[in-house]
Amino acid sequence: MNGPQFAMTAFVVTWLTASLRLAGPVLLAALGETFAEQSGVLNIGIEGTILLGALTSFLVSFYTGMIWPSLLAALLVGIAANMILAWMYVTVRASQVVAGLVFNVLALGVASAVYRKALGNSAVPESIAMFQPLHIPFLGNLPVIGPVLFGQTILFYLTIALAFVAHFVLFRTNFGLALRASGENPAAADSAGISVYRMRYAGTLISGAAAGMAGGYLVLAQVGLFRESIVSGQGFIALGIVIFGRWNPLKATVAAMVFGACDALQLSLQIFGTHVPPQLLLALPYIVTILAISGLFGGKAVQPAALMAPYIKD
Amino acid sequence: MKHTLEMRNIVKRFPGVLANNNVNLTIQAGEIHALLGENGAGKSTLMQILYGFHSMDSGEILIDGETVRLGSPKDAIALGIGMVHQEFMLVRRFSVVENTVLGLREGNGPLLDLRRASEKLKDLSNRHGLALDPAAEVGLLPIGVQQRVEILKLLYRDARLLILDEPTAVLTPREKDQLFGVLRKLREDGRSVVLVTHKLAEIMEIADRVTVMRDGQVVATREIGSTNGQELTRLMVGREVNLRADKSAQKPGAAILQVEELRVRDETGHEKVRGLNLEVHAGEILGIAGVDGNGQSELAEAVMHLREIKSGRVILKGADVTRLSVALHRTLGISYVPADRRHVGSVTEMSVADNAILGLQRKYRRGIFRGIREARESARGLVARFGIRTGGIDFAAGKLSGGNLQKLILGREIMRGSAALVVEHPTRGLDVGAVEAVWGELLRARQEGKAILLISAELEELLNLADRIAVMFEGRIMGVVDAAGASVEEIGLMMAGITAPGAAAAGLGNKEAHRGETL
Amino acid sequence: MAKLFERRLTPSDSPIAIFATTAAAFLTAMLVTAFLFLSYGASPFQAYFALFHEPFGTLRGFGYSLVRTSPLALIALGTIVSWRSGFSYLGFEGCFVIGASATAWLALLTAPGARIGPIPFFLFLPLAIFVGFVAAGLWAGLVGFVRARLGGNEVLISLMSNYVAIFILQYLVSGPMRAPGSLPETRILPRATWLPFILPGTRAHAGILIAIAAAALVWMLLEKMPLGYELIVTGFNAAAARYAGIDVGRRIMLAAFFAGGLGGLAGMVEELGSQHRLMDGINGGVGFVGIVVALLARLNPVAVIPTALLYGGMSVGADAMQRRASIPSSITFILQSLAVLLVLAFDALRYYKINFSVFSRGAPPTATEEASK
Repeated sequence: MNGPQFAMTAFVVTWLTASLRLAGPVLLAALGETFAEQSGVLNIGIEGTILLGALTSFLVSFYTGMIWPSLLAALLVGIAANMILAWMYVTVRASQVVAGLVFNVLALGVASAVYRKALGNSAVPESIAMFQPLHIPFLGNLPVIGPVLFGQTILFYLTIALAFVAHFVLFRTNFGLALRASGENPAAADSAGISVYRMRYAGTLISGAAAGMAGGYLVLAQVGLFRESIVSGQGFIALGIVIFGRWNPLKATVAAMVFGACDALQLSLQIFGTHVPPQLLLALPYIVTILAISGLFGGKAVQPAALMAPYIKD
Repeated sequence: MKHTLEMRNIVKRFPGVLANNNVNLTIQAGEIHALLGENGAGKSTLMQILYGFHSMDSGEILIDGETVRLGSPKDAIALGIGMVHQEFMLVRRFSVVENTVLGLREGNGPLLDLRRASEKLKDLSNRHGLALDPAAEVGLLPIGVQQRVEILKLLYRDARLLILDEPTAVLTPREKDQLFGVLRKLREDGRSVVLVTHKLAEIMEIADRVTVMRDGQVVATREIGSTNGQELTRLMVGREVNLRADKSAQKPGAAILQVEELRVRDETGHEKVRGLNLEVHAGEILGIAGVDGNGQSELAEAVMHLREIKSGRVILKGADVTRLSVALHRTLGISYVPADRRHVGSVTEMSVADNAILGLQRKYRRGIFRGIREARESARGLVARFGIRTGGIDFAAGKLSGGNLQKLILGREIMRGSAALVVEHPTRGLDVGAVEAVWGELLRARQEGKAILLISAELEELLNLADRIAVMFEGRIMGVVDAAGASVEEIGLMMAGITAPGAAAAGLGNKEAHRGETL
Repeated sequence: MAKLFERRLTPSDSPIAIFATTAAAFLTAMLVTAFLFLSYGASPFQAYFALFHEPFGTLRGFGYSLVRTSPLALIALGTIVSWRSGFSYLGFEGCFVIGASATAWLALLTAPGARIGPIPFFLFLPLAIFVGFVAAGLWAGLVGFVRARLGGNEVLISLMSNYVAIFILQYLVSGPMRAPGSLPETRILPRATWLPFILPGTRAHAGILIAIAAAALVWMLLEKMPLGYELIVTGFNAAAARYAGIDVGRRIMLAAFFAGGLGGLAGMVEELGSQHRLMDGINGGVGFVGIVVALLARLNPVAVIPTALLYGGMSVGADAMQRRASIPSSITFILQSLAVLLVLAFDALRYYKINFSVFSRGAPPTATEEASK
């Protein structure tokens, strides 16, 4: 292999590996959000939930050194936090945009206050134990696809598996049918004996669990430490991926990969020293998501008919 | 439910309203029981209690003498009670079979088994003569077929008591006959049917017994054989009414509003108005009759250019206004009273005063500011002139009763002094007093020389108000008759797409074929 | 049949009910936060004293409060214009950054020896207002265009546009506008372009006057002008607006432009009044807290200035609290957002009427209770 060719291969491998790595947490959050939106709830609060999940997993890992319990704790905190959100969305019937947005401010305040309470104002971030990339024998040694597909952390494979599970649950089970009916025509669902409230609570809590876990994913498999800016809009990107993926878990997986590829391009190009301003590349995933959901390409996405509409039953 | 269902002393109050006041109702197995009453008489509330949608404040529901609890539709379904709502409870983006199994738990535990459900559904539809493709997407089916899906849904759950709320409102006469055929079969099967309606003729045609409700109370229950239309009307409205508007003879003037070869599509891209022509003259009411959904709303919206026009022309006082903006339509002299008073014709969150200038907001101004004092003045005038009962002009419009809100909208549109007025279902859902008031105002506007296009599904209204009646079917005018000499039968035939004897029969064979497939 | 709470069909909209629920929500939020103070080992009374004494009890602190109030109020006003027009814009962080960048760029052009050179302040100020307003107005207007013409979801697009704006700012201060030196920031803006200080001995600047004027203008627009009427109708009910001959798409784009412009003014005021140079991180969440202010003010322009003063003051007090009692200042985020969440929750109470007669006559059992016996 000559020089340029080798460099090219190396570039592609780094790029694609990073693409999949970066796609993981947003995909996980997007999978959960798909359930919320299919049930009729636009849960903007996942941004804050991811932050809380990240903090939780960091603290648990910091104090115990155990990785899996940290992830589980993040998941549980996600569910607990989204109990509040579900109550606001479904029972109080507050505007979903307002409640979710304000919740994110609340989560920021809580995360920062708790972090400082726990670790003081030390300027040096503490690092923790993390998930390591797997080394799958034989498959991992294949050229290019080896490191790309078989050199990810266990969380990545878990997320991909969850995408298939999510798809199956949404489209092949009674629960999925009832959930989707609640988002499409809640009155009809109610009339068929389905508790729309319960379905929407379920959708919101599932999105909370996934978002909490996504926060754990960020900390435990990518960053290894906590800072307040760790999420920086990845929850919002997950919302975009849900639309981009047309409320379908498998299509969302593809959408998340596209997002990851944009994000990773920036890293790879920086490593390989180009003259493109890094900010342009950093902005790329956001721009791509904006373009994808603005209705410029492939027509307008048809969202669940009752999305964002509180259901009133007397 | 096997034999009889009894509702005893049902009381339901909503804030400020006693919707059901000590209501008693008994339904036998194998009967078609009509529930008759005006809007607001409490029939829907009663049925929603029976279906577990509403809780009752007091009272008792018994099946075969045993008290049952109906806390949710789930309970009702388990007891064999099913309901077809006026607005269908279907998920448009689901298939027929998905809609059918929605909310059921059967077979494979948590997993969906659509194949087996489809088999069962096909079986049922063959047995009851309700042809259906289980895999079809419901939102793409015609209204009549959607209703069939609703009924099959109930049969799939083996409902013994079927409640149908105003089932014929959206059907053509032929579809209605089909439906009644199905209902008779269900009766033979030993099932019971409650038919909620205000159409006397249908009750006389199909029901075994009828219960009349008024002001939240049951006025009477009668065997069909021992009553008649006059008596039922009297029971229903509490007095003998013969709604008859006195229409003065009047010679229409010049053509004010003309529609030429108009073609309009709906949101899904289906052509709803297909080459339609009409002409309304000054001092004339042209009625548009037709079953809902035959393109009437699209026609009205296209005339105002609220909807994109595919081709054709709209001409106002000789000038082509087809592609002009809605605002210009209003300025040039077309007013519009839409069918949906609460979501289109008014902004319910805003005050009566603010609603009185809706569409006129640029007219009441002082320099760059709103002419708020003048606007309030005119609102007060409107309230006085049209007898609108309101807690003041600062009262939220949404708190007005339907009749008063309609008077506000109609008054506003009349008072702006347009030459042409498009009115869509002006009395839908109003009580008798309000209907009379609205009719009076429309006739007054006619007398003042306005050209009025009146779209209505109520033949009684059209026969009373219109000078000529055009019947619309599948986006075209089937024929135009003089209201004075029109017969209900003739109009009814045209509403079903059958050209009256003597009228041109072009394209009839085609339509027959089409209907054969949808019915 | 009397119940203590009787459900209404529509919520009570009397000013007393609205004020009562808002105040009750705020007090409850303070109560919850008091427990947080306890968990930090601080006395809630002392903490609240610190939180409110510094901003409202000292002149210097009050000056700082006014500094924080201006951008919050302007962003809240932008929120009001867009949300009441039915355009759920959430991109004020971005507008703030764009407005700040544009005015900084203009101000640097008027430095001695720069392209334009020094110009008198009375000419510079209107120019700065124009540039800040239009730049951010167009930025938000773009989202309005996407919503009105392409049907895109403005909630998500505007959220994500924030990040794009922030990257633009980072690019500007690390590239074209970077001052020589190690930090990515611009030179300090020419003294002649600074907003005048208005309270001797404090940092309070004329930005608060701009915010008050903007509040008056927004009030006038929404309450007194035909355009405002059309915007409000559009916000309540787009179908009715279309029916009334209102061009809904254009109104939405206009509302987006105004909202963005107000967000841009917030950036301008912060830049010329307080920061005096452009650098990364100037936004610091003000775009979201501004929305929260608007919500607590119940989208009423008249209530914006006092509400923004309350929240601006609280953030000043929080910094003092962090310095003195080492309670993290982020606790105010908790208090501020909790207040709005509780307002939303308490709003459900306005659906209930309190039957005081229940107390006077010993409540008889309700019909359902009787029936269930």
